[in-house]
Amino acid sequence: MTDDPLTAQSAQRVLDRALRDGGLFADIFCERRSNVRMTLQEGAIHEAALSQTFGAGVRVVVGESAGYAYTEEISEERLLEAASRAAAIARLTAEGSSRSAQLGSLERARDRLYDRSRVENAAPRELAALLERTESAARAGDSKIVDVNAHIVDELQELWIARSDGFFRYDRRPLVTLGVQCIARRGKERGTGYCADGGRTAVAFFESMTPEQIAGESARIALVNLDARPAPAGEFETLLGAGGGGVLLHEAVGHGLEGDFNRRGVSLYSGRIGERVASELVTIYDDGDIPEERGSTSFDDEGTPCGHTVLVEGGILRGYLHDELNARLMGMRSTGNGRRQSFRHLPQPRMCNTYMPPGDADLEEMIASVENGIYAKSFAGGQVDIGKGDFVFMIAEGYRIEHGRLGAAVKNATIVGNGPDAMTKVTAVGNDARFARRHYTCGKGGQHVPVGVGMPTVKISAMSLGGTASA
Amino acid sequence: MREAEARERAQRAVDIAMTMGASEAEARIVLARRFNAAARGERVTQLDFSEGRSLSMRLFIEQRKATLVGTHWTDDEIRSGVATALEQARFAGVDRFAGLPDPQSVPSRDLDLYDRKIEERLDEERLDDVRSVERSIREADRRIDNSNGSHYSDACVTLALANSSGMVGSYRGTQVGISASPVASDGAYKRTAHYGSAARFLSHLDTPDAIAREAVRRTVAFYRATKPKTQTTTILFDREVAASVLDDIFSACNAANVAIGNSWLAGRTGERIGSDLVDILDDGTIPGALGSSPFDAEGTPSQRTPVFERGVLRSFLFDAYYARRLGAKSTGNAVAGGIGPNTFFLAPGSASLEELIASTKQGILVLETIGFATEHASGLYSRGARGIAICNGELAEPIEEFTIAAPFPEMLAGIDAVANDLKFDGSIASPSFRVAEMQVSGSSSAP
Repeated sequence: MTDDPLTAQSAQRVLDRALRDGGLFADIFCERRSNVRMTLQEGAIHEAALSQTFGAGVRVVVGESAGYAYTEEISEERLLEAASRAAAIARLTAEGSSRSAQLGSLERARDRLYDRSRVENAAPRELAALLERTESAARAGDSKIVDVNAHIVDELQELWIARSDGFFRYDRRPLVTLGVQCIARRGKERGTGYCADGGRTAVAFFESMTPEQIAGESARIALVNLDARPAPAGEFETLLGAGGGGVLLHEAVGHGLEGDFNRRGVSLYSGRIGERVASELVTIYDDGDIPEERGSTSFDDEGTPCGHTVLVEGGILRGYLHDELNARLMGMRSTGNGRRQSFRHLPQPRMCNTYMPPGDADLEEMIASVENGIYAKSFAGGQVDIGKGDFVFMIAEGYRIEHGRLGAAVKNATIVGNGPDAMTKVTAVGNDARFARRHYTCGKGGQHVPVGVGMPTVKISAMSLGGTASA
Repeated sequence: MREAEARERAQRAVDIAMTMGASEAEARIVLARRFNAAARGERVTQLDFSEGRSLSMRLFIEQRKATLVGTHWTDDEIRSGVATALEQARFAGVDRFAGLPDPQSVPSRDLDLYDRKIEERLDEERLDDVRSVERSIREADRRIDNSNGSHYSDACVTLALANSSGMVGSYRGTQVGISASPVASDGAYKRTAHYGSAARFLSHLDTPDAIAREAVRRTVAFYRATKPKTQTTTILFDREVAASVLDDIFSACNAANVAIGNSWLAGRTGERIGSDLVDILDDGTIPGALGSSPFDAEGTPSQRTPVFERGVLRSFLFDAYYARRLGAKSTGNAVAGGIGPNTFFLAPGSASLEELIASTKQGILVLETIGFATEHASGLYSRGARGIAICNGELAEPIEEFTIAAPFPEMLAGIDAVANDLKFDGSIASPSFRVAEMQVSGSSSAP
């Protein structure tokens, strides 16, 4: 983490080469990443894994097409070669004419969203100590906790983005995660709990959100699941828990609003801006500009500043999530949602932090209003089909609600539904909005990026629960 | 292609680490030339051609373990990475099972992994393939009115492995894949499906036209699909979905999960768990298969391992570390960062899928599942699903928005028919199979 690997003059020459064959737009994405991951198993640090990558990709855009080539050897000569290869797309489509890039000098992102002063990964001693505290806290509460697996990740990503329309920007993004899985056992019964937190911050974050709190929560969920009963199968009134319930927004609505699907007309939300797509209680935002959230960055992976995007407001569809390419083709502006996994990947429109603002319902009253239902307090993850909007997600901690009262915990339940349908069935929105603990990663087209989600408790009048017990 | 250079770099990285104080070291170099293209309509929309290289190392200091992966290449880059990794290794616990596998000779057999025709392909031939998939999906059915893009990819990979016990080996392999994602409007909804074919040899790949037709069949299959009622019924898993079930079974057979109690199969070796039809194997020696290689990620020669024989659990799958820890022998399943499949598959039966359907009175042919909700410790399988109802031995109406669920032991014991349609098109593969009874959750049943 020392000098800039790319000067403005050198980047200018590479971009000129990239555009020589008729490209409309070109960019260089140069990235240096250092990631330390330490794992703990059976009471001891099991492994220390270090990943250090350094490389750059050159992209050439013409019409709706993109050419790409990357190299892991950063020199002007190799970058010029990559530029020539990426420009093959322009030779193929034979549109446009040769143009020249107009590059400004390097701008460095400011320290608004996260601390950018750190230039080295956390000391291994510090990471090991946090893992050891996590493990003792997880085991301290209850002798039924028989297995504890914990990991801590500390990452620094430096990036230099040079664009043919003039940007040349640098940022350094931190990311930390501390996660712990607890397995509780009684005879042949087992229960699993998982909890993780972190964000775009340094390991000092775990002074305020302590390893003891994270471990305690994981152990608590494992014990709840140890006593959980098989989930029933059938349709139920459902309360989605505050915070982690935001996975529903991400899966059921967010993906369907990504610009590539809508530009191609393959999303069920294509061409529907201004139409009612949800109950009037539903408002959804995406925001990459929230301090320390996993999905936040000073600017996206195309150098566009991240911002606040209104997706759905009072049930009306207001906007899509855009990168540069899809925004231009749709006559819109990038919303700063062009993201990529690494220098080996092309950018895609992706969510940053997706959330629903608070309503006015009270959690106790929402529970009391349910005759026969499920309280899905947190989720382990989900998946969606973009064209039809069908989604599934897995309950990590959930309870039966019978006659307005919380009942036994349920385990191993999958909720399945249809996004647009579920959004019209939102009948109450809680006053308890918050962001989920920061540990979610989103996969799309083989690329994984960190994201954030948030939501108040939300009541949905009917959702299908896939369990094995009869209702 | 550059095999000698890859071996030299791997050997050099090991030497550097040993000089710097490692007590054991292993280095793996992967050189890959990858070509990716996408087309949509008449247009090529993506063209990505890159040559990449990567280094992965495992370093031990007196049975404390660290790993290093990255883009290090020159001696100086390797030295700098190794120094940081060794510093981190000092914080790992001493693990008496940690270390390289015992020295062993590397077999020299030719597993037929490299197709020179892929290396020699012209860009224009590759683009013709992906354009022709796009054309074929529109010609196959007039309801197809859009596409999420068709993809072509191929790769020529050289892998070299060296370690401080004197092992040096290398091999080359190719892979090629084509996929299609047609879209059809169904009222307000868009029907989409994704289907592809992958192989080591061009000649083993389905033709662009066959891939397009199968993708289209899956797209229009769900027109006007309805939600089934909650019930228990017979489930027939189509080949691709069957492979995703095998994926979960692999996780339960993975010795790393077994060792930490995160497998419902832990402690059950020798027990009858599945029906007589459950023969599951892991095989790294099938000539020409995508999952084959002469040796695994730590140099253990590939082998064929019976995992289930006539329903009886015979073996878990091990790398050297978990083999030592659990008192077994490595089965040659080390992959970068853990344990993985070579070709992990369910042995095929003799009847066709059509015959299986015809012999099913009531049930569901499941064509797609979504979600990944397996609780490996307790072994409960639960997925969102989409399929075709089967009524009196015939395919009836399409159904969707339901989940299927069962405890894994009941599922394996309930397998009462296996089809003959196994294809080695991935490192986890399965023929279609039928489970006598599973829980289906859809709309509320009538009171």
